[in-house]
Amino acid sequence: MFIYQKKLQYPVKISKPNPALAKFIISQYGGPDGELGASLRYLSQRYSMPYPELKGLLTDIGTEELGHLEMVAAIVHQLTRKMTPEEIKKSGFEAYFVDHTAGVYPQFASGTPWTAATMQVKGDVITDLSENMAAEQKARTTYDNILRLSDDPDVNDVIRFLREREIVHYQRFGEGLRNAIEKMDSKNFYTVNPAFD
Amino acid sequence: MDRNNNCGFQNGTLPSCAPLAMAYVPMQESVKPVYNPAEALSRGTLFPGLDLPFMNMVNTGDLTGTPLGELMALDFVAHELALYLDTHSDDTEAFEIYKNILSLAKTAHEKYVKLYGPLTKQDLLQSQSFTWLKNPWPWDYCGKMEG
Repeated sequence: MFIYQKKLQYPVKISKPNPALAKFIISQYGGPDGELGASLRYLSQRYSMPYPELKGLLTDIGTEELGHLEMVAAIVHQLTRKMTPEEIKKSGFEAYFVDHTAGVYPQFASGTPWTAATMQVKGDVITDLSENMAAEQKARTTYDNILRLSDDPDVNDVIRFLREREIVHYQRFGEGLRNAIEKMDSKNFYTVNPAFD
Repeated sequence: MDRNNNCGFQNGTLPSCAPLAMAYVPMQESVKPVYNPAEALSRGTLFPGLDLPFMNMVNTGDLTGTPLGELMALDFVAHELALYLDTHSDDTEAFEIYKNILSLAKTAHEKYVKLYGPLTKQDLLQSQSFTWLKNPWPWDYCGKMEG
């Protein structure tokens, strides 16, 4: 069960609308390494995890990612407010606009709709945690790239916060893997899959 | 778990001999040092050892000058500690800090609700009417306005 809190995890106050930035920031909403995939990946992996510390970690990080999803949506929403048709054409936003107006739709920067093919739930402790560590690094790289492309201080402030969260999550998933293998057969971690056998 | 390593807060411990074909991330050995809540929120982490900015660009603004900012910072620290405790559930020092922050966050939550309205449905117990729908919503641009 989830309870909604009517506030963001970190404030989003974008003073200057700029649809050109929204065109690629949308990728962290529904792109290949975005927050929608992150939250669904972790919240879905919980069910096959055999150890309570991993159920807890996936629940807590998965929930935080839903908060990040809301923050990225807030950035896109604020960047695309009060657009004129001229601004839309000038900023190259017309392809998105014609399909979604100023709505927030989960898609890649390239326009491909969000797909579950970008994430995995393998049902294996080592595999899923390795996937998650890779996922955090992929999201971190995406935020690095956004920081390279964006010169809006209000946007970059939020992006730097989100990027740092990926590093913290990477550390925690790594520690989760350490805790898990402590419980497994240290002579051969691959003897069985404790999530199934 | 050995918490008395001497490699400093930016490093953690690894086994001296580790099995092949397994990834090892160093364990964070202590909950301390920590940033204060305002600094933690703007840096994006409670832990200086995990604070690894891109191109050394960091957020320096203090967001805690308002009741909302104050609450965000305390809720954020509580969440950081919860993640730490998920992988360090036997760390009693961290749990004591966690309980202290939860209590401060509860007070900050109540202060905000009194001034600006409900953050959760439960907060409506203190409302005269169904103020849940009152603007602004978290994603709306509200400039310097608090709420």
